[in-house]
Amino acid sequence: MRRERREQLQTGLMLAPSVLLLAVFVLIPICVVFAYSFALRDPYGAVLPGFTFDNYRDLFQGVYLQIFVNSFYLAGMTTALCLLIGYPVAYFIAFKAGRAAPALLLLLLIPFWINFLIRISAWVVLLGRGGLINQGLLLSGLIDVPVGMLGTVGATLVGMVYAFLPVTVFPIYAALTPIDRRLLEAGADLGAGPAETFFRITLPLSLPGVLAAALFVFVPSMGVFAIPVLLGGGKEIILGNLIVQLFLEFRNIPAGSAVSILLLVLSGFGILLYMRALRRVEAMK
Amino acid sequence: MTPHRAMPNWFVRRFVYGISGWVTLLSYLFMLLPIVVLLAFAFNAGKSTVVWTGFSLKWFEKVVTNRNIIQALQVSLIVAVASAALSTMIGAAAAVAITRRAFPGRDILSAALAAPLVLPEIVLSVALLVFMSFAGVTLGYTTMIIGHILISIPFATLIVRAAASSLDVRLENAAADLGANEWQTFYMVTLPQLMPSILTAFILSATLSFDNLVMSTFTSGVGTTTLPLRIYSMLKLGITPEINALGALMVLANVTILLLVMSRYLPLILKTNRR
Amino acid sequence: MTKRLSLGLTASALALFVALPALAEDLRIFGWSGEMPDEVLADFEKETGIKVTFDTFDSNESLIAKLDAGGSGYDLVNPSQYAVQILAKHGKLAELDHSKITTYDQVGPTFKEVSYDPGNKYSLPYVWGTTGLAYNKTCVDQPITSWKSLFDEKYKGRIYMLDNMLAAYIVGLQVNGFSANSSDPAEIEKATETLIGQKPVLAGYNSTNFADLVSSGEACIVESWSSSVLQAIADNPDVVYVLPEEGGTMWIDGYSILTDAPNPDAAYKFLSYILRPEVAAKTTELTKTATVVPASKALLPKEIAENAAVFPDDATIKNADFILDLGDAMKLYQDGWTKVKAAQ
Repeated sequence: MRRERREQLQTGLMLAPSVLLLAVFVLIPICVVFAYSFALRDPYGAVLPGFTFDNYRDLFQGVYLQIFVNSFYLAGMTTALCLLIGYPVAYFIAFKAGRAAPALLLLLLIPFWINFLIRISAWVVLLGRGGLINQGLLLSGLIDVPVGMLGTVGATLVGMVYAFLPVTVFPIYAALTPIDRRLLEAGADLGAGPAETFFRITLPLSLPGVLAAALFVFVPSMGVFAIPVLLGGGKEIILGNLIVQLFLEFRNIPAGSAVSILLLVLSGFGILLYMRALRRVEAMK
Repeated sequence: MTPHRAMPNWFVRRFVYGISGWVTLLSYLFMLLPIVVLLAFAFNAGKSTVVWTGFSLKWFEKVVTNRNIIQALQVSLIVAVASAALSTMIGAAAAVAITRRAFPGRDILSAALAAPLVLPEIVLSVALLVFMSFAGVTLGYTTMIIGHILISIPFATLIVRAAASSLDVRLENAAADLGANEWQTFYMVTLPQLMPSILTAFILSATLSFDNLVMSTFTSGVGTTTLPLRIYSMLKLGITPEINALGALMVLANVTILLLVMSRYLPLILKTNRR
Repeated sequence: MTKRLSLGLTASALALFVALPALAEDLRIFGWSGEMPDEVLADFEKETGIKVTFDTFDSNESLIAKLDAGGSGYDLVNPSQYAVQILAKHGKLAELDHSKITTYDQVGPTFKEVSYDPGNKYSLPYVWGTTGLAYNKTCVDQPITSWKSLFDEKYKGRIYMLDNMLAAYIVGLQVNGFSANSSDPAEIEKATETLIGQKPVLAGYNSTNFADLVSSGEACIVESWSSSVLQAIADNPDVVYVLPEEGGTMWIDGYSILTDAPNPDAAYKFLSYILRPEVAAKTTELTKTATVVPASKALLPKEIAENAAVFPDDATIKNADFILDLGDAMKLYQDGWTKVKAAQ
């Protein structure tokens, strides 16, 4: 009896810091943001007491709609490209790299040892008219005049894929490694072609990893703001830029709160979709 | 079946592996090329990051004598170490409780601890800023460290949890049989087994904090300009090799830390595995 | 190992929290990045023994946002003219006691009677400059003189605008012949349309590394703050800065003491220090930005004192607008700017 009480006390002590942290610094702030999203404001940015749905109504005006379309497009493209590139890489590391696998995984993390902004500025230089890529193309005779690459959606996508590719590879790799190779060989023995083996065994078994990767790329990429500005010229802004603009530039806390809540709901929706898909995949096994 | 086998193997090797091999090679070029160029131009004599004019170490000298960078580095280190230490302690305690104890709301807590991983960082930062100003808290180290803990705690918890769930319970039972009390068992058997994962969690948390820009933008206060914030204002004055030299020093520091940790940490892993 | 590590972690965490409270003779300044040379700060520290913490911001809006969030802990802040008005209205700025600024008489007479803050009640003007155009000579066939060039198809994909609402509207308004300080809804609407129409020829909006972009030739023409591009001009003679014939604008960044400043005495010492002609000259020399101290001009090297980009002539200054607080019209600008940013 006493032992049980003591264990309860210990459990409580172990949990208290994390529960407190989440409650005070995540849950309450989100509630404050939620409350502010219905508030009024004066033109100088002070929040006034009151209750209005205007901040949400404004979100569904034509102006914001375009920003949502941009965000979904950019996040969708980033996710698709990351999966398309990341899957073969993860596949190679899991099945083909052998003893080089840990080194390859470590190598993928090297860019993260350098500050994020320095990494982006390296791309600003590389993609510039005088940059290495243009120099190479000029030298090869493929072009006569340097191509302007900065300030395009393509440049934004390069930066996004660069930032999120490692995040894609790790979960897929983690899902691929436990696959029993004998299963694949058995498939081949039974006369399954390589395509059949891949699509009927490997891919389904690695789907949870693919789904996790998609979630880890899609949701955060809607909130990014530095890459669209520094590489894309800030011409096509996404939700992350909108939040920064509303909070820091316009000091419109209620409207910024409403966009934040919307992004939160979208992320929650993404997580729900992920969990449903995961359940379906696991039921398939 | 033999005729079938030769064909697919050849086909798989040539195309499936072949494609994955090529994609991997190109991906690594894509990931590492900017870094290589960046590092090379840190040694450029001229002010350009595009045209090579000769070898020089002057940009490194400029970085290490730049008082703004040194100050920002101090701030970043303080915030990284403090937030990683706290995040690891809080996360490890929660991870052990989640894997070892039964309590109501366990699933909810473990989901909540992973939540900051998928919550857009910007929403989390904004929420914290709004809350802090609502509560009248002065922005500074405290707010920034709290913010960084929120960023790193999902990773810290997940890493320690993975290790805790694969612990061998028999070892603890054996210790208890030999007369060790609960605290002794935890301290002398459980904790040493968790140490590699705790260290990993600490290093990853510190790295995330050190590289953070978004959360720092919203939570920084007097004298807490971190290195990423400083770099951002340096970029405004133009991309010079000084930025490259700073990047090169960062790689150097990371490699050193990694080697130092490895030399301490490898024997620890080996010891754990031998059991 | 385990014990040492956990002890170490706990101790470092504790030590950090204990070490947080600031020391007494500290001066905490929140200023524009790139407008106060480190050398001046270091000299001030050496002379007075006061330790200076200088944090930077990159727009008036983010300065206001940070100060609005509550007790910021700074002594001195560095707002531009309209931000002075807004912050004073919010009760954030203390009234300056001119008797404590020992070198106040060094301030040029025109800067003592600025419209946004008559008599320097809340803000001591320090550096000033203009918002105009910068271009790369190798990239254009004739000198650029008008905002209209920012709309020229010829330079499509090589034009950058400042990524700042009020700065972008200077172009949108003045190119239509309106004042950059307009609060007329119809004029703002027209400017919004103009800016949306400009978007296809733009390479982007940039207030970060635009000077670098125009210097490297990546961009041909950029809208620019004079202070940001003057260093690039010093390094690269192909870069030219002009005030457009439509006028452009003039800005003044001054220093204000916050009402909740922990150490106003040190703030006054700092203000008295930076107004000394030799210190002001050093500031101008290192940042290529003009100060409000006329006596410093004689101490400057010729190439700076006679540089029209640093010290535009009086006629040019007269032609330039001066952006003031726009009051309720601010909402029109914000709605318009969101439209501009969202447009394809």
